[in-house]
Amino acid sequence: MLTVSSLAPAQLRARLSGPGLDVQTGPFANRIHSNIPHLAAGLAVLYADYPLNEAGGFADFHLDLGQPGGIRRWWRPQVRFEQDGKFPFKPLPVAQAQPFCEWMMNWCVSNRAHGYLIVHAAVVEKHGRGIILPAPPGSGKSTLCAALVCRGWRLLSDELALVRHADGLLVPVPRPVSLKNRSIEVIRAFAPEAVFGSVVHGTMKGTVGLMRAPGDSIRRAGEAVVPHAIVFPQWEDGAPAELEPVTRARLFMRVADNAFNYTLLGARGFDTLAGLAQRSAGYTFRYSKLDEAMAVFDALAGEAP
Amino acid sequence: MFDGSRPWRVSAGQSLRRREWDGEAVLFNDLSGATHLLSPVALWLLERLAAAPDDIPGLASALDAELAAEARDDGVDGADAAADAALDREQLADLLADLHALDLIEPC
Repeated sequence: MLTVSSLAPAQLRARLSGPGLDVQTGPFANRIHSNIPHLAAGLAVLYADYPLNEAGGFADFHLDLGQPGGIRRWWRPQVRFEQDGKFPFKPLPVAQAQPFCEWMMNWCVSNRAHGYLIVHAAVVEKHGRGIILPAPPGSGKSTLCAALVCRGWRLLSDELALVRHADGLLVPVPRPVSLKNRSIEVIRAFAPEAVFGSVVHGTMKGTVGLMRAPGDSIRRAGEAVVPHAIVFPQWEDGAPAELEPVTRARLFMRVADNAFNYTLLGARGFDTLAGLAQRSAGYTFRYSKLDEAMAVFDALAGEAP
Repeated sequence: MFDGSRPWRVSAGQSLRRREWDGEAVLFNDLSGATHLLSPVALWLLERLAAAPDDIPGLASALDAELAAEARDDGVDGADAAADAALDREQLADLLADLHALDLIEPC
């Protein structure tokens, strides 16, 4: 199986500006077009280990991130996202092309992949036990997720928990972990070996740093996982690491609040989420120190089967 | 003011698709597409109305009987427990009004 790393930089740029870069992320085939050189360089770093699909084959998502022409290209360079001839979002400064690409990949999944219940959540796995971390921005979800995957947990996703309707299993869609603001330095100090793309300042989410997903997580993207627990994290200055149980009915309602397509799915979404709540223990989790959090999560994963 | 003399039934089209855990329930509302977190009393009322339409006096006496039976099962004096725990008619009317506002029940 070829990976993106098999392409020399010039080949990768030629694919992006020509037929498209066909890259597989979990169950999704993406075709990315772009004429932005630094986006090509960023993809080479962050997507090196991802399967490279045959050019021109089937693609679930077509993403075109280009720079508009004219004098704007030089005076006020921007990146815009095109899909099916439409521009659903306002252009952004071209320096933000890499995080923009990530947001658009998330947008494609959350708007199209209704074969899954999609929850705004990180998902990690250890010993075959999947743990879902749903949370609004600012709760420390991505920081915790990054720390766990730097300590041997498998990354299923930093943003999108995919629960398959047919069997209720968690389907991996591992992609770079998006860290914001102070979290970037926190993870760099916690795991100096972590590989980051360029850090981008001034986005709508502040400063964004994308951490490369572990190679093993990408190689195992075809292995679905049994849900084991749903943990709502909340970073709180000085708080000891503490799990507090959540009843299953309230767990259901809180996960529904964090799901992108729950309402759209109707009764099918209800049944899938009911199955998830039935299989998973629910907790809120306050923490301030990552090392303490790691111990709590290791205990939650239990012993190897 | 809620009309206690009217009989009520589960709204046409409601399947009462639900899951219960540890005394709490979630219920999918077929008509609105919303999901509701329900107390055991609300769920009991819905199940009762799904079996047969009823008005507040009928529901109140059924609830009293249910509470008394549960108390007996727990070895508590049935009459005292029912007197302590029974919802009065005003509370029952409030609950019916809430379920009506959620499109879960309708007047016959």
